[in-house]
Amino acid sequence: MRIELQGVRHVYAPGTSFAVEALKGVSLSVEPGEVLGVIGGTGSGKSTLVQHLNLLLVPTAGRVLVDGKDALSLDRSELRRRVGLVFQSPEQALFAPTVEEDVAFAPQRLGLGEEEVRERVGETLELLGAGHLAARSPFALSGGEKRRVAIAGVLAMGPEVLVLDEPTAGLDPHARSDLIYLVGRLKASGMTVVFVSHDLDEVAEVADGVCVLEGGEVRSIGHPAEVFYGDPSMAPATVRVAAALGVSRPSLGTPVRYGETLAALRRVLGAAP
Amino acid sequence: MTFARGVGQFYPVESPLHALDPRAKVVATALFVVGLFFVDSAAGFLAAGAVTAALVAASRVPLGAFLGLLRPVLFIVALTFVFQVLFLREGPTLLAWGFIEVHEEGLRLGLVLAARILILVTAAGLLTATTAPVALADGMEDLLSPLKRLRFPAHEVAMMMTIALRFIPTLGEEAEKISRAQAARGADFEGGGLLKRARALVPLLIPLTVGAFRRADELAEAMESRGYRGGVGRVRYRELRFRARDAAALLLTALAVGVAALL
Repeated sequence: MRIELQGVRHVYAPGTSFAVEALKGVSLSVEPGEVLGVIGGTGSGKSTLVQHLNLLLVPTAGRVLVDGKDALSLDRSELRRRVGLVFQSPEQALFAPTVEEDVAFAPQRLGLGEEEVRERVGETLELLGAGHLAARSPFALSGGEKRRVAIAGVLAMGPEVLVLDEPTAGLDPHARSDLIYLVGRLKASGMTVVFVSHDLDEVAEVADGVCVLEGGEVRSIGHPAEVFYGDPSMAPATVRVAAALGVSRPSLGTPVRYGETLAALRRVLGAAP
Repeated sequence: MTFARGVGQFYPVESPLHALDPRAKVVATALFVVGLFFVDSAAGFLAAGAVTAALVAASRVPLGAFLGLLRPVLFIVALTFVFQVLFLREGPTLLAWGFIEVHEEGLRLGLVLAARILILVTAAGLLTATTAPVALADGMEDLLSPLKRLRFPAHEVAMMMTIALRFIPTLGEEAEKISRAQAARGADFEGGGLLKRARALVPLLIPLTVGAFRRADELAEAMESRGYRGGVGRVRYRELRFRARDAAALLLTALAVGVAALL
């Protein structure tokens, strides 16, 4: 499915003295099968933005289109199934006595049969490398395990688009790279992923498209190389190095990912492979 | 945001009432409330009402905040009034219509009770609207401290009050956050009968409780790491000072309520 935002504005507590305009007219599209990285600092409107993708928040002005149709006209719960939203620190919403039951919550809400629910839970946990945790209490897991189980809880709905809001925040490097790897696998399986983060290196590794938010507005959007080389001061380390060296060695090109950058450097510097 | 701005909350503006010592305000409010029960004449209520209205004006808290406070009470006031008017059958009959009889004493008592409740709630609202929760807790602690000799944990009670007040908005935010996360997993908190709705709350209440315990643990650790070990030998950053104007306010309140009671 393709999601398009057209001039979306969002004001919290409108009409009071506490009114805050979190989004000031954001237009972007999430293409099927792509990984869209959304980056921006604290208060840039990232979290507000992602909640518009499944209409947990309704735009104050502007439109959200799903496959060209106004999302407001669609069935809300069906939309929420198709666009799975994983909030920041999703492990805070774990509640069931066992991991299995927690992950089963969403498919049960969909009214699936017992057998199908069990199957889905098993598959999803397996996909996230958490199959061995099924019978444990979600409250007795490590931070990284909890995070994966919580993501499984959303994935078990079988969404077409998975939205991850700061999925790596507060995780150790190992759990972090596990998650990045997971995003790669989801993409390979044809899922559309929206990946929100303020870690540029992370986004650079997985994103097909990048959207930079600043103060509730889109500062730049496009292919990662375009966006990052357009403003290398706000780019991942790989781009900063390549951009600095590229001044004297244009043949370096515009690599973004770690692997690409390493290969380009080896080529240009003539190091042994 | 909506949660934090609840009815009867502290309204941070500058006014003579905000500047008073919280102890003076607590005692004055208590005096006033107790005094109200001795007021039973129309003139007395007019006087007490006028004093309250003057204080509301002096507090610079918008009138809307008080109206919001009174709205839920109005039902009780109306109910009390109707019951008194209909069922108290003493004194001369003012109106008789079928089985409905309104007697003078019933009408009088109905009006007295209605006036009493309205003034009482406004006075209590005046205290919470003009006193920061922390100042209020500090004041309570000071007022309760004589009880420490009887081993009453005045400091601990005040600290618990402060913490509880501080965490109301935090828990509200967390509840909102978790309910949205569960809504994204297909939870439905609105539909269905009472039992279904109560069961739908389980995915909200369990994480909220777990979170509250986690927060309590973290807070305890943070307090201990900053050297907190209870009220013994503890001093305050903001010392409460009982000035002449606080004494004057107390005196004036006592005077006003005394006059109203005698009228």
